Amino acid sequence: MWQKITSSEKGRGILLISPPFIYALVLMAFPLAAIFLFSFWTQDFMDVDTTFTLNNYREIVEKPIYGALLQRSLYVSACVTLVTVLLAFPVAYFVSFHVRPERKSLWLFLITIPFWTSYLIRVFLWKVILGFNGVINTGLINIGLIDEPLTFILYNVNAVIITLAHAFAPFAILPIFVALEKIDRSLLEASQDLGESKFMTFFRVTLPLAMPGVVAAVLIVFIPTIGDYVTPELMGGAGGKLIANMIQTQFLALNNAPLGAALAIVAMVCVTAISLVFVLLNRRWLKGRS
Amino acid sequence: MTALITLEGVNKHYGDYHALRDIDLTINEGEFFSLLGPSGCGKTTLLRTIAGFESVSSGLVAIGGKDMAGVPANLRPTNMVFQSYAIFPHLTVAENVAFGLRKRGDLNKAAKQTLVEDALDMVGLDGYGKRAAHALSGGQRQRVALARALILKPKVLLLDEPLSALDKKMREQMQVELMRLQRHVGITFILVTHDQEEALVMSDRIAVMFEGRIGQLADAETLYRRPRNRQVAEFIGKMNFLHADVQAVRDAIDLEVQGLGRLQITAEQSPELRDTGPAVVGIRPETLGILFDGETTDRKLVDGVVDEVVYYGDMTYYDVRIQGVEAPLNIAMKNMIGRPVLDVGAATKVIWDERALVLLK
Ligand SMILES: Nc1ncnc2c1ncn2[C@@H]1O[C@H](COP(=O)(O)OP(=O)(O)OP(=O)(O)O)[C@@H](O)[C@H]1O
Ligand SMILES: [Mg+2]
Repeated sequence: MWQKITSSEKGRGILLISPPFIYALVLMAFPLAAIFLFSFWTQDFMDVDTTFTLNNYREIVEKPIYGALLQRSLYVSACVTLVTVLLAFPVAYFVSFHVRPERKSLWLFLITIPFWTSYLIRVFLWKVILGFNGVINTGLINIGLIDEPLTFILYNVNAVIITLAHAFAPFAILPIFVALEKIDRSLLEASQDLGESKFMTFFRVTLPLAMPGVVAAVLIVFIPTIGDYVTPELMGGAGGKLIANMIQTQFLALNNAPLGAALAIVAMVCVTAISLVFVLLNRRWLKGRS
Repeated sequence: MTALITLEGVNKHYGDYHALRDIDLTINEGEFFSLLGPSGCGKTTLLRTIAGFESVSSGLVAIGGKDMAGVPANLRPTNMVFQSYAIFPHLTVAENVAFGLRKRGDLNKAAKQTLVEDALDMVGLDGYGKRAAHALSGGQRQRVALARALILKPKVLLLDEPLSALDKKMREQMQVELMRLQRHVGITFILVTHDQEEALVMSDRIAVMFEGRIGQLADAETLYRRPRNRQVAEFIGKMNFLHADVQAVRDAIDLEVQGLGRLQITAEQSPELRDTGPAVVGIRPETLGILFDGETTDRKLVDGVVDEVVYYGDMTYYDVRIQGVEAPLNIAMKNMIGRPVLDVGAATKVIWDERALVLLK
């Protein structure tokens, strides 16, 4: 039997992919299925009532707080993505085009430095920078530019956006960098040879060819930020809480796992839908390219 | 013939490396000019200084009488066919060809489209416009690159080893097509190649480069028949070299050649050297011959022994040792009816003629 499995092409293939497959099944599919199931159940004090119901979803649709939170989450994610990708592109461009080849890996290494410390510590760091008695406010007060601490930079949505954008910057830089590296430099010379300035060459050749990297960066930043709850918890204050915080509250503080699960499913569907639209739009736009 | 491109004392340094050394060059309008030389001799560098992708360390580059110092590539009246063709992968064939037309405000969309179609027609790619550029074969890419450059009607078309990526058949076909195209459009072509045959076949004039210098600049026949020095002679075709002693230089030149004895050549057979003393003469394999049984000749003969035989089908190459010369002479013989292929060790008579000799520096 064993011989038969290892000798056939198919058998060996199955054998090869089974460890990651089992891993994915246990760590991804089962939890997802569990969440999915939970979302159709009801919490009954300490017990879970397992009769099928759509009440959780009905509640999410009817109570405005959930819609508002979801909207705010999407808004924050969109802002973070925009800011991150816009800031990441010049960095990736600089490293790819203006750093000597032998120095590039050093630069990439430096870019990953923020990852050397824990995510939490990085979030607290921003608190120190943005806080009422933080670096920015004391600095500005000391040089007399302001009398009162600036309040729009801590415990609100702006603070969440700044912190998340910083956290995800390397994730955005790397795929864009890879896409830029892959561009044949003679294409840029060809464009100039055909009469385009460096500036126009960027828009007609470099940017379109870097688009796959930009798309990857957008997805890599957008998808996880929707689910982030540490940063909004620590930086968001009352007005900066996001959908993930609500999910956490439902699961832990309010002990209402089914409603939390339903919220998670809704958030997931939104992210999937938006990502798909984005990918499809891009495929349309990039049509005819290898 | 008016000069179109002038290079005067052009030098190029990459750090310590001296890539171009005192290049003086004039290329005429409508000429098919080739830069020929071994790998790393600076052909691409020279082409790129004309295109504007490299600045010169010293010297002057002028196109159409205008000094090109500080003029970027996009403002020079040159277009280039890159060695890798550099076809834009995100555009279709037609969009590639139309790339340089964006700034032509005098043309409306329909006029541009006509131009693109004409250009594709010219390179034999009519009907390929809608294809994705990445789905083309090597030969087709090359044609797109040509169409894309020629549509802009440049004064000069620069071609950096455009045929080296193609197989032999395709290469020969494209050589003929390029020549036809050049005659048709009347644009100056500057072709970079390391293939001497390609250069000889296609060019009006050829500059042979070695280590950043121009070794000789001449038309194909002069280059082949009257190379200036041993380096050029060795690079272009095959050549036998014999030591010689120049004894008198008058209207004609008297010399004593190893293995061949005393003889006299005309001044025209010595492109450079005019001094008495030791020298080297060259003689091409096809100007020597072997006297087969039953054949006669009124040219000179010297005894030899066959050392090596290489059979090519239409030709046979013999290495024949003659007395007093250490290296055997390479002789190319056409295989004709009644001519057997000789065996190694066979005693033969070598036919030679002093008119085929060239005295080298
Ligand atoms: N950007 C550069 N930096 C340093 N050295 C360079 C640079 N470009 C070319 N060189 C050097 O200049 C010399 C000439 O290069 P070039 O590309 O002109 O050679 P080539 O004659 O075109 O050779 P090939 O037939 O192999 O293409 C080479 O030795 C090369 O190493
Ligand atoms: Mg080259």
